[in-house]
Amino acid sequence: MLKKIVLIMLGLALGLSACGTPKSANGALTKISLPMGYIPNIQFAPFYIAVEKGYLKDAGIEITFDYKFETDGVALVGANNVPFAVVSGEQVPLARAQGLPVVYVAAWYQKYPVAVVSKTSQNIQTPADLKGKKIGLPGLFGANYIGLDALLYSAGLTEKDVTLDSIGFNQVEALAADREQAASVYTANEPVQLKAQGYNINELQVADYVKLASNGIITNEKTIAENPNLVRNFVKAFLHGLSDTIANPDEAYTISIKYVDTLAGADQKVQKEILARSIDEWKTDRLGISDPQAWQNMNDTLLKMGSITKPLDVSKMFTNNFIP
Amino acid sequence: MDLNSLLKLRHTSNRARRWLGFISLAAGILAWWLIARYGGLPAFILPSPADVWTRFLRALVNGELARHTGATLLEVSLGLFSGAIFATMLGYVLAKSRMLEQILSPYLVASQAVPLVAIAPLLVLWFGPGIFSKILICGLIVFFPVLVNTVVGIRAVPPAYYDLMRSLHASRGQILRYLEIPAALPIFFGGLRIGATLSVIGAVVGELVGANTGLGVLINIGRGTFDTPMVFVAVFTLVALALFLYGLVAWFERRLLNWQEHIHQ
Repeated sequence: MLKKIVLIMLGLALGLSACGTPKSANGALTKISLPMGYIPNIQFAPFYIAVEKGYLKDAGIEITFDYKFETDGVALVGANNVPFAVVSGEQVPLARAQGLPVVYVAAWYQKYPVAVVSKTSQNIQTPADLKGKKIGLPGLFGANYIGLDALLYSAGLTEKDVTLDSIGFNQVEALAADREQAASVYTANEPVQLKAQGYNINELQVADYVKLASNGIITNEKTIAENPNLVRNFVKAFLHGLSDTIANPDEAYTISIKYVDTLAGADQKVQKEILARSIDEWKTDRLGISDPQAWQNMNDTLLKMGSITKPLDVSKMFTNNFIP
Repeated sequence: MDLNSLLKLRHTSNRARRWLGFISLAAGILAWWLIARYGGLPAFILPSPADVWTRFLRALVNGELARHTGATLLEVSLGLFSGAIFATMLGYVLAKSRMLEQILSPYLVASQAVPLVAIAPLLVLWFGPGIFSKILICGLIVFFPVLVNTVVGIRAVPPAYYDLMRSLHASRGQILRYLEIPAALPIFFGGLRIGATLSVIGAVVGELVGANTGLGVLINIGRGTFDTPMVFVAVFTLVALALFLYGLVAWFERRLLNWQEHIHQ
């Protein structure tokens, strides 16, 4: 009883409603609230396509997009308040290290979408060139931080060899104003904006130096055990949307306008470039597949950073069982 | 009943009240422990008091708590000091000039309607991620309550007292020193107490947006690694910091206003 009351209170506090809980009614659609980990964005086009083309409906799922912090989404899935969330790969080992039973069931990005960018005048062309540089990043957490450290490790450097500067999500402005010599950014976003503003930049993509588990869909062990069909159907519908987006980006862009308020008034060239770069990071022979080595690398990177204190069972972090 | 008995009774009652505070605190911790223990909730949702205590000790031993608390305390101290100084000076000028008050009031009131959480990222962008932007946010949050209480405090001085001072040929400086400051201090300290607790919030807002050290950063790291006990440790440290600052202001208040007690006695 006590547990029930506390869970209800926590659910309310997190802004949840009953629609977040998976239910299987006879013939009725299962209503799902999906934490997205970011604001509405063209990069979420595969999800919008899956809704608009009825793939999720065909799978018996009605979805509500919930644009909240990534870590909140992980906690909600871990507590089984929602069945799925869209998160970055590092969230899974970090969460499992603290006892959250989350499992990654579909890879969305095949390349870790983080890069370190700098103006060409800084002459930073390899990770080794970062030594002694002042690097801006949103904070000492999240994909920007982990990707940056992984890049440093690839060149035999550590955080002690550089100056990390937590600047919030102001990397474009900080680089433009020469406040930072380099910045850790999302590959599909800030580099496009910087180039559109006329800056000549160098990009060091983390994925070119180390393969790390990237963004994808997580669920929890309970949902996998009790409702594997829900997981299978959801993954299938999402991958259908992903496949369509890769095949026809222009159509995906047009459909996304309905979901991303700012898209209609935005610079189409920039936004389409963001989508194109994202698609480049999604492409693979078998959509949704997870590479075990990428998870092992993620585990090793987090250990080296001290973000987790002991090695985790990598095989429990992800499964490819739900990939069609 | 003689005077001694009355004083003894008062002393006993004060002691009982103090105990009530401890009992209330103990009951709160007990309720928290019961929910964590029997609610069947994992530590990432609700850590037990023991989890938080263990994490507190670990953070204390490895020095991370001292480092982050020191950074926040520095920002809060400088923000509170500078915000209070500017607010007091402007408050005095506004109290003396109705016209200036009417000109500036819309801006001052409107500034309070602006959510600092929303503009904090801009302040960090304009003034950089260093300590200055945090001091500025602290100062801004402290500014209004101190300003308002300064204006009210100065205006609360009875006109008859001014007449008395003038009849004694007191200079402006003497009026300020011997009449206005002492008369306005009780109300001014009311504003400063509110400002002291708010300044902690100001610093954390700035740190959450972009900083390398501070309790806000510790909260971000705790959330980012699902280390909920660490988030609790940082939050409790912030509460302790706010209580400390509040107590410090109250202590100054008592020291500076002890003349009031003598008058009442």
